[in-house]
Amino acid sequence: MKVGIPRGLLYDQFHPFFTRFFTELGAELVISPQTNKSILDAGVQYCVDEACLPVKVFHGHVCHLRDRCDLVFIPRIMQLYKGEYICPKFCGLPEMVTNSIPGLPEVISHPVYATTMARLRQWAMASACPITRDRRRVKSALEAAVDEQSRFRTGYHDQGYPIKVALAGHPYNLYDTFINMNIKKKLNNLGVGVITEEFAGGEDTAQEVRALFKKPFWTFARKTYGFIAALASKKHVQGVVYISSFACGIDSVIIELVRDRIKDFPMLVLKIDEHTGEAGVDTRVEAFADMLERSCKHESDHSPYGQCLYSCKSPV
Amino acid sequence: MLYLGIDVGSVSTDLVLLDHGLQVVEKHYLRTRGNPIRAIQEGFRLLADQYGDREIAACGTTGSGRQIASVLVGADVVKNEITAHAVAALELDPDVKTIIEIGGQDSKIILLRNGVVSDFAMNTVCAAGTGSFLDRQAERMGISIEEFGDYALKAETPVRIAGRCAVFAESDMIHKQQMGYNQSDIIMGLCEALVRNYLNNVGKGKDIRPKVFFQGGVAANRSMKIAFERALGFEVTVPENHKMMGAIGAAILARDAVRKRARTRFRGFSLVEKHFESKGFECEGCSNRCEVARICENGMEIGCFGDRCGIWSGRIRTCRPIADSL
Repeated sequence: MKVGIPRGLLYDQFHPFFTRFFTELGAELVISPQTNKSILDAGVQYCVDEACLPVKVFHGHVCHLRDRCDLVFIPRIMQLYKGEYICPKFCGLPEMVTNSIPGLPEVISHPVYATTMARLRQWAMASACPITRDRRRVKSALEAAVDEQSRFRTGYHDQGYPIKVALAGHPYNLYDTFINMNIKKKLNNLGVGVITEEFAGGEDTAQEVRALFKKPFWTFARKTYGFIAALASKKHVQGVVYISSFACGIDSVIIELVRDRIKDFPMLVLKIDEHTGEAGVDTRVEAFADMLERSCKHESDHSPYGQCLYSCKSPV
Repeated sequence: MLYLGIDVGSVSTDLVLLDHGLQVVEKHYLRTRGNPIRAIQEGFRLLADQYGDREIAACGTTGSGRQIASVLVGADVVKNEITAHAVAALELDPDVKTIIEIGGQDSKIILLRNGVVSDFAMNTVCAAGTGSFLDRQAERMGISIEEFGDYALKAETPVRIAGRCAVFAESDMIHKQQMGYNQSDIIMGLCEALVRNYLNNVGKGKDIRPKVFFQGGVAANRSMKIAFERALGFEVTVPENHKMMGAIGAAILARDAVRKRARTRFRGFSLVEKHFESKGFECEGCSNRCEVARICENGMEIGCFGDRCGIWSGRIRTCRPIADSL
């Protein structure tokens, strides 16, 4: 039995769990390749026009798997933490995909509520059905998968750069180097190191979120807001780079909340869509790096302690 | 000793020569017409008649076509437009606090505090409300873009035009025109819509303080200046060389770069005689299938653009400057 797993949306965060689970069940895995032009083209062709770019890209990944597997796994991720939800598009993702792409094999799309082990077990039993009905095997596969996921670490934390920025946004925008035009490399080449939210959890973040007028409804909003607010207010970074897909509803809320909290702390919001011409992104990123570099030089020139705080390479 | 600045934008390609005191001695504003290479050659042809290669002490490029321009001419500095515009404005007046820049495809706001850029914003992926849209509307109404702004000055009661999206704006303009409003009132309404759109999108949440400089090609439109002044409630300054500010900034930055390096990379005006050809191909090295543009000079490859991994663009790092071969 060949199970196809699309390398889209939250794959980057949860692939250890899903791949281990299906491998333990005895399925052969087919994983779509890194996003590329043909995947993007297929996604744009099949997906409804109003969806955001990452959802379109996910369609492209499913399309790639269409004739290469017996089952396609489309995770319907509903909840990761108690009392908060994932983006609404994730709840209807399997329906969007199956109604848009013709000729798909059987689809596994049971809702994932990763809040308790009991609810995960329900998901595991239902999802394993087409592959095996051996309940003991499913149970041990789930345990192995949970263990695998708990040992998995992702994220960026660059060291040794003169300037450091918080790189924020939904994980699928941050880690898909095709759709974000390899933003990390661009920043690194300009002498800017990045840190992502995986490396900045802890009490500062939680405190920032508690100070909000209400608990955020979305997991993305809670994590991203807490991350940016904590780092910016403590000045652990010199700036924020936020990657947002065009027309993302959750981002529009997060960005406003963040701006309200951090005021004029430097933040660059990069909207991404189907564009593959890099001139526009380059200009914005270069100008942002220039601004941080110049202003940190300016500050260091006027440091009350009479010492240079950061060594900037160039005066321009 | 002259400093050459080149700003290759979506609509115009601007070249300036600055003297030692950073005064503009020569300026050319040319239309890019979709072909940046030809536009640069055309500009060089105008300069080559009067100036020799050795008079150029430094050369800088900016604008969305800055990379391709730098390979062609041998630039000492390749800078983004934001920094270039800020540098040029600060050179002119160290007290400037805000720069409004509207070009062919981009609109930007740059906030300056204590002589450095403290914040900036650019339009997002959409280019509504920029120079190319005004161009199109002028053409549609059969008015030359140079006169477009002056037409609006005659307006007595500007009509309201929807400004959120270029397509909405155009249909609203057509509806108003079919209802019989006069052209001046419609054009002034459009200018006000663009200003409203700019302040609500690009300038959203930004603390716009005087002194404000209005730069870029659209600043030539006098009605836009008036519309900005009405909306902001204070005076907006349009610098004399508002169209060339990017190029001026690039020239100033080039001077600074050469000071450290002691020698320019400028390849000379002979570029005019050369035959350049651009060929696009799809790289088959990996599944990204990047569309690579290969620029050839007299049949010899001088640079490639558009690949993600750098296998093509990294092949030829720098062309030998003429100074080295002498």
